[in-house]
Amino acid sequence: MNLERLPNEEKLSLCRKYYLGGFALLPFLWLVNVVWFFKEAFVKPPFTEQTQIKTYVKRSGLGLFCWVTILTTWITIYQHFRAQWGEVGDYLSFTIPLGTP
Amino acid sequence: MHFQNILVHLQFHFIGNYALKQPSNEPISPVHFIYIAHLTTENVSNVLYIAKKKTIKDSEDHTTTLSSLSGDVGVLHLLESEENLDWVLRTGLHPPYMVIMESALFTRSVMMKLKNGSSRVAGVAVVVPSANPPQGFSPHNKCPNENSGVYSESYGPTLAHCNTTVWNPLGNGLSYEEFDFPIFSLKDDNDTQLIKQCYVDHNRPVNGSDPQYPLCAMQLFSHMSAVTNTATCMRRNTNGFTFSPESICEPLGDHNIWAPAKPLNTTQKGHKAGESMVMATLDSRSFFSEIGPGAESAASGLITLLAAAHALRNATQEAQLSRTIFYTFFHGETFDYIGSSRMVYDMEKNQFPIDLDNVHSVLEIGQVGLFSSSKVWLHTDPVSRRNGSVEEEVKKLVSNLQTAAKGLNVSVEEPGVTQPLPPSSLQRFLRARPFPGVVIQDYSSSFANMYYQSMFDNADSLKMSYPPNLTPEEQLNYVTDTAKVRAYMMLRLLVNTANFYISVERQTSLPTVLVQHLLANLTGSTANVTQEDCKNQRENQDDKESKHVSYSWVQGAAPPNSTERKGFCVRSTVHGTKALSPAFELEDYNSKDYSTWTESNWKQIKGRIFLVASHDLEVNQSAKATHSRVLLNGPRCQGLYRLLT
Repeated sequence: MNLERLPNEEKLSLCRKYYLGGFALLPFLWLVNVVWFFKEAFVKPPFTEQTQIKTYVKRSGLGLFCWVTILTTWITIYQHFRAQWGEVGDYLSFTIPLGTP
Repeated sequence: MHFQNILVHLQFHFIGNYALKQPSNEPISPVHFIYIAHLTTENVSNVLYIAKKKTIKDSEDHTTTLSSLSGDVGVLHLLESEENLDWVLRTGLHPPYMVIMESALFTRSVMMKLKNGSSRVAGVAVVVPSANPPQGFSPHNKCPNENSGVYSESYGPTLAHCNTTVWNPLGNGLSYEEFDFPIFSLKDDNDTQLIKQCYVDHNRPVNGSDPQYPLCAMQLFSHMSAVTNTATCMRRNTNGFTFSPESICEPLGDHNIWAPAKPLNTTQKGHKAGESMVMATLDSRSFFSEIGPGAESAASGLITLLAAAHALRNATQEAQLSRTIFYTFFHGETFDYIGSSRMVYDMEKNQFPIDLDNVHSVLEIGQVGLFSSSKVWLHTDPVSRRNGSVEEEVKKLVSNLQTAAKGLNVSVEEPGVTQPLPPSSLQRFLRARPFPGVVIQDYSSSFANMYYQSMFDNADSLKMSYPPNLTPEEQLNYVTDTAKVRAYMMLRLLVNTANFYISVERQTSLPTVLVQHLLANLTGSTANVTQEDCKNQRENQDDKESKHVSYSWVQGAAPPNSTERKGFCVRSTVHGTKALSPAFELEDYNSKDYSTWTESNWKQIKGRIFLVASHDLEVNQSAKATHSRVLLNGPRCQGLYRLLT
């Protein structure tokens, strides 16, 4: 979809949809929001809806950052300690490579 | 070979003296010994590379050697001495190294050093010599099965853990160590010469200068699926999340073969007459899987028991004995008494045709192949002998055996000191209840076998030799007595062909099948039954009753004038029952009471050598190797396993 052709109200509504959608445990929507609307929010010359788009993009960015932190922390802990957790580690795992503890 | 003859005579005399004294009012002391033969044979010669030590897991420790999924590659290095290890572990420029060594260097100190430096070691290949090392070699523990026998803190604590006498002083415990790299064995033949030549041509430092690329490298594949211990891998076998149906490890197991001298009623559990159990062992092992010669540790006793069963066949059929002999062959005794613990468990749970109540006494034949100065030793358990009635029975047993041996050229003695029973199946029976029992061995305080549970426990270790310059026919004639001939032939057959390693349950080992059919043939009788009926375990078409005998169809030999074999049916009392540790029935994989050994599954076992042009290419050698030769490939390499306990 080419944002150039859209009127500003529709851009705002799209941004808002992606922002609200990310709350449903969908951080990739926030990622898309940030990447897609970055130019609109910060680079383009000001237009009426820009302040709101800017808010949405900033908040999406914040949410994205939280998710990245949480996921990175958990993945690191899991990869490092799963072998030591014994039974619990096995029950948490979907697939364990053969031949590794 | 005369030892078997002697033991056969021993039993025969025993029965002759006692069984036929019948019709008085005193009860006959029946034949109440069990021959426990430990049958082990070695089969080193026919396999090129016995493959690496498999991974065996245990709940306490685990024995493993494994490679990565894509195989381990290392630059070849021929280890010349223990000091030469320095090159591999510290000074060499092209780690990781694939170390090739002669078996003289395959010692605990060398292997431990390699284990500690395993970041620079890609794998080990041991060249197996054709002659046994004269100083002995045993990768088993110094005190075999010390935690699964009868002696513990509550039963004879001063006798536990080999405090009084060390049974296997040459044991270096290598079989129970964990290694992070594959260990293969190579036969000393042309392929091995090629490997050594490759090293000499490309890898050897000349005049102090470092070897340059291209270097000779070897890649060994032996990826094992299971890790950590039995509890973990059994849990992962049945983990609900994974979709893959393949299991990663399987318990060790096989079958116990047993045969009462007279038929029992096998459908009725718990037989109330008196039985005397005679036991033997069917299995052995070595450091390398797929090699399990065990001539002295298993074959010697097993053959003796078979010979005895055959010799006593007629006597036990005709004589009216108040007790029957119950010949038993246990499998898996090497791995914490898998077979005997299972049988005792079945007896306790009334799942077996006879109960522990019915067992009057036990005689076991242990390692009997290495007679020295014609002495046979009778080992008994001092703790159970503190009980008056048990002591009486044991004394009777011992004196009977001594009397029976009087006419023969062998002396039967008890070791004069208070010492525990050696590792034997009788110990598991004593755990259940104090039976009077005797274990016959050829040693008094430590094994005469210098190659206990190793790949060298073969015909040479038994010193089975003929005078030189005899043709095979003459060699057979050299052994004149027919019983001796038969026993000798069986021993020869087993020692050179059979691998006594127990392996997993779904794979029946050769000794089990052999013993089952041999025992049937030697103790049973020909039956006039058609082949179809025979194979369906019935006497004829109308026979619907449940049987206490078993039938087996023998293919037979072809008569002189035709090529078709003339088969016949043998009716005997031989049965096989599952020898799987009770821990797997109870699903208690951390059990301290029962054996918990399992074997890992693997993908492929193979190896190859090639020239590698630079270090980066070592990683992706399959595409860039300039010359590669496949040495070991799948179907012939069966010996790899990872054993977990």
